[in-house]
Amino acid sequence: MADETIVDRTAADQTKADRAPDFDVIVVGAGPAGSCAALVLARAGKRVVLLERGPFPGSKNMYGGVVYPRILDQLIPQWWLTAPIQRWVTRRQTMLVTDTKALTIDFRSQAWGEPPYNGATAFRPDFDNWLADHAVAAGAQLICSTTVTGLLHDSAGRVCGVRTDRPDGELTAPVVIACDGVNSFLAKQEGLYGEVDASNYTLGVKETLALPKEVIDERFGVRGTDGVDIEIVGCTSGVAGGGFIYTNLDTISVGLVLKLPKLAAQSKRPEELIASMKQHPAIAPLVEGGELKEYSAHLIPEAGLSMLPKLVADGLMITGDAAALCLAAGIWLEGVNFAMASGMYAGQAAIEGLQRGDVTAEGLGGYRRRLEETFVLKDHRKLRRAPALMLSDRMQSMYPDLATAVVERMFRVDNPAPKPGLRTIVKQERKRIGIRRRDLARDGLDGFRSFG
Amino acid sequence: MIAVIPVRDGVFPAGGVETVAECGGRAVLIGSGTAAAARHLGGGTAITIEAGTFAPGGWADALAKPLAGEAHVVLPGSPDGRDLAPRLAAVLERELFAGAISITPTHIQLARQGGLAITDVIPTGSFVATLQPGVRGVDPTTQSMDPDTINSIDYPPGGSTDVADVVLIESLAPDAATMDHAESPRILGGGAGLSTSEAFVQLAELSERLDASMGATRVITDRGWVGHERQIGTTGVVVDPSLYIAFGISGAVQHTSGLGQPDHIISVNTDPHCPMMQLADLAIVSDANAVITALLDRFGDRG
Amino acid sequence: MIAVCLKWVDQRPAGQRPEGIGTSQPEPDSRFAGVSAADRAALEWALRCRDAWPDETVVALTVGPPAADAVLRDALAVGASRAVRIEAAFSAPSRFVARCLAAEIRTRLDAQNLVICGDYSLDRGTGSVPAFVAAELGYAQALGLVGLTIRSPDNHGADEQGASMAIEALRRVDGGRRDRLAIHSPAVISVEGSTALLRRAPLRGLLDVRSIEVATPAIAPEHPTTGTTRPYRPRPRMLPAPIGPTALDRVKVLTASGTAAAVHGDPITLDPQAAADRILDALAQWSYLQP
Ligand SMILES: Cc1cc2nc3c(=O)[nH]c(=O)nc-3n(C[C@H](O)[C@H](O)[C@H](O)COP(=O)(O)OP(=O)(O)OC[C@H]3O[C@@H](n4cnc5c(N)ncnc54)[C@H](O)[C@@H]3O)c2cc1C
Ligand SMILES: Cc1cc2nc3c(=O)[nH]c(=O)nc-3n(C[C@H](O)[C@H](O)[C@H](O)COP(=O)(O)OP(=O)(O)OC[C@H]3O[C@@H](n4cnc5c(N)ncnc54)[C@H](O)[C@@H]3O)c2cc1C
Ligand SMILES: Nc1ncnc2c1ncn2[C@@H]1O[C@H](COP(=O)(O)O)[C@@H](O)[C@H]1O
Repeated sequence: MADETIVDRTAADQTKADRAPDFDVIVVGAGPAGSCAALVLARAGKRVVLLERGPFPGSKNMYGGVVYPRILDQLIPQWWLTAPIQRWVTRRQTMLVTDTKALTIDFRSQAWGEPPYNGATAFRPDFDNWLADHAVAAGAQLICSTTVTGLLHDSAGRVCGVRTDRPDGELTAPVVIACDGVNSFLAKQEGLYGEVDASNYTLGVKETLALPKEVIDERFGVRGTDGVDIEIVGCTSGVAGGGFIYTNLDTISVGLVLKLPKLAAQSKRPEELIASMKQHPAIAPLVEGGELKEYSAHLIPEAGLSMLPKLVADGLMITGDAAALCLAAGIWLEGVNFAMASGMYAGQAAIEGLQRGDVTAEGLGGYRRRLEETFVLKDHRKLRRAPALMLSDRMQSMYPDLATAVVERMFRVDNPAPKPGLRTIVKQERKRIGIRRRDLARDGLDGFRSFG
Repeated sequence: MIAVIPVRDGVFPAGGVETVAECGGRAVLIGSGTAAAARHLGGGTAITIEAGTFAPGGWADALAKPLAGEAHVVLPGSPDGRDLAPRLAAVLERELFAGAISITPTHIQLARQGGLAITDVIPTGSFVATLQPGVRGVDPTTQSMDPDTINSIDYPPGGSTDVADVVLIESLAPDAATMDHAESPRILGGGAGLSTSEAFVQLAELSERLDASMGATRVITDRGWVGHERQIGTTGVVVDPSLYIAFGISGAVQHTSGLGQPDHIISVNTDPHCPMMQLADLAIVSDANAVITALLDRFGDRG
Repeated sequence: MIAVCLKWVDQRPAGQRPEGIGTSQPEPDSRFAGVSAADRAALEWALRCRDAWPDETVVALTVGPPAADAVLRDALAVGASRAVRIEAAFSAPSRFVARCLAAEIRTRLDAQNLVICGDYSLDRGTGSVPAFVAAELGYAQALGLVGLTIRSPDNHGADEQGASMAIEALRRVDGGRRDRLAIHSPAVISVEGSTALLRRAPLRGLLDVRSIEVATPAIAPEHPTTGTTRPYRPRPRMLPAPIGPTALDRVKVLTASGTAAAVHGDPITLDPQAAADRILDALAQWSYLQP
């Protein structure tokens, strides 16, 4: 455990701990994880406070993205009737691009546009606020514009509350749930992370561009509240990462997810990379003429299971991005659903612990068990090789080159030369690009294990 | 229509001459040095009330009678005019239209939403209105003419007033820091498009490099990022540079009417449609924060 | 007593607020609503006055719909003793708002009142409410203050005004000049946002939920003249007649004057580096810089 935590255990902390605690549970951060935790606890009649540093839930969180809210079936029946959704994703595309070529896999399902739905685009200031409203309606006390600056410990070293940046700003509770997002200050302070390495993070950058709704409908081939989610590989000017385009009602989100060490080495600025992606001949027609509404950047924990921290300490649980539970594996970018689920499970584990009168790491063990039993850790296990594969040089530039070149030659008519066979083309192109057969086979197997 | 002009030591307030012009030369001058100030009227008729230092309560009371028969009363939107107008509207029991950019008895255009919108109003009866300084302009050839007729009225009416006003201890001349600014031929202005107080540290540095002085909008001085003496506009300093570069400024009328008439305006803003961009000779759609950093980088080698 | 007037408004920058048609402005989205910097400064001054004169109480007042309670809760959390909301539609006309405030101040508070307002509200933005309040109550007014000094209790005891509160203040007048004023209660003052930063509410203050009094004024609603709203267009300005030997010269003089009426180059979209270059080019071309 880090030295600072020992310094923290002052006499003052102890007298605070001796008094009756202010709350049963303190939840730090009103993102998707925090609001779900608070909702579960408030419904169970626990006294819960939800502390948020922004002026309202979602105010500081990134604008626009795709959320997969199915986990809410368990918390808010028929959530789709009230959730602030922009468009339902009924069309999903994966685009492999090189400088001048593009190969797109296009999938559509009208079933995704009806209850119980699949993915949806939403603005985080709307979505997070809506979710927090449910927690408040259930009885949680939400305090905004308040930053948690540290954890309080009792004489036995157990977490027993938080310190905030407000005057008279300490609060006590037997359980603290840290839902404070990526780079969690609380989890680090408590020493739950091992050595942190920049290569475990990627940087997400995004522009929100305004276009009239009819123009979006026409360019993306959708109607009404149907929407599109496009993931793009090979559009990052040599920096490892991927791109995305999502349609909102009358804006589109265009962004990149970039590997940090590479980005630093390239000395290219993220906004330059977005600008060059927007000029790609396959992408320009989709985004042209959009008026810039917002630009934002945020870290994403991307290394998957390999950087999973300790999830529980005495009196403390960490959830969502704070626990690096974001699933970011190339064409998958899911974090909100993992955050909501882990928040919910942490809330349930806190209820168990409080009822049993044991809130030590062991007493809160139900949290880790629930994560193991559900998609939260199952998906992460299944996709554990995916981040490395998706961010490898081969995936980033060689495979898009290979795929587009092969398809190009399949469709090219080189008369009077006869059409070559597919096997020949693949072999020739693989040699030209310099991909070893062994690597191709191994990546294929990794890919099959992960995505198959 | 008749103008009511609060006069200090014979000096007209911002927008005073325009207000008189808007009313076709009819005016009541109230304050100190009113007879001397009447020269600014450019002809017309004047009523002068020698009433000492600014006392909105007592003045409104004194003006009630002479203005009773005047259906349309217009004041300049200067600090004194803005504070006197509601008191007058109250004693005259009239509707108040504050912050207009154009006034006639049958049509008033009001600047609203921080000066980014205009509301058109068709008045149905008598009113008191204030005219935003700097939006009208005046024909300079008609200035400095004595009025055709002057009537003066005694103050306070009946020898005393029982309306409460605060006590003026002294009037302070503009401080030197403000004057530098007001007379600077080059000004770099920053607005709410600059997202941190550090951006203003950078802007100050850039101003120095360009031999310019730094100004800001009210949104920024309200935040305390820049001292209020650097606020450009009707309630701030009125400047008249030849070069103005606006970073992240929307160009609300209360700001631009304090700008004078620069020879060259550059505006950097993410919104191509805002008024500041329409005023600019060079209008660049870009992130002003980053542009300032980039400009500073260009000067990096100089130290 | 010290009454502080707080207006619940949409705090987003002007361009991002939903636009109103006529005078019927839509109620703000409560996520982005709060009080202006000026009203926050007014509240801070009210608390500082109370700190200086501990016998006084601070009463926070707002005229607005139930959602406006949020600003009163914040005022209570930071140290106001009482909070009263006077029921009215959002964006009620200024004169009506002032009558409501004056009625409340008259009925509930004592004779030595100090009423503190912000200098102008973000949306309506005419700064007339404080002057109307002063007119209604017959108080002295000092508006648009840019600096305040609270007289210490000693000085204040020695004052011939007896129990009144005394403040020395700077009021901004045009041309960068300022008036130094002596203010004694009862009075209405309005302060600019830059005069003070509101202190942070203690955490316990936020957790301790106190009740807000609601008053319904017996004041007839007003129906001021309404209008229609459109984007801002500068009014054509009266300019000196151009001087020049030929018509072309005169046109040049007119169009180079950089006035509101003259529209110049279309906006160009550039990345920051290119923008910096373009600006320096222009400055060189216009001879502000050596090329
Ligand atoms: C560019 C980008 C695109 C993405 N796209 C998607 C997508 O399309 N779909 C998807 O599902 N996920 C996406 N994600 C991931 C997703 O945003 C996160 O996984 C998710 O928000 C995690 O939720 P959370 O509640 O754990 O944390 P957050 O949403 O980060 O919430 C943390 C909250 O805690 C508050 N907080 C932090 N520190 C403190 C403190 N000390 N005191 C008080 N409050 C504090 C913050 O203000 C914030 O409200 C994307 C991420 C990025 C960066
Ligand atoms: C009675 C009264 C008196 C007033 N007196 C004055 C006065 O004396 N002086 C004064 O200045 N104001 C005054 N005002 C306020 C005035 O109405 C405006 O509210 C103010 O001038 C707006 O300031 P702004 O342009 O900084 O902010 P905004 O109007 O909020 O504009 C910000 C601008 O920045 C742009 N922007 C946002 N992000 C970026 C980015 N990253 N890069 C580039 N651009 C960006 C936006 O598109 C927008 O155009 C007064 C108002 C009233 C009612
Ligand atoms: N509805 C309201 N409720 C309380 N105070 C108000 C209200 N409207 C205006 N004020 C006060 O009057 C000041 C000036 O507002 P305005 O005259 O609307 O520009 C504000 O800063 C507030 O202090």
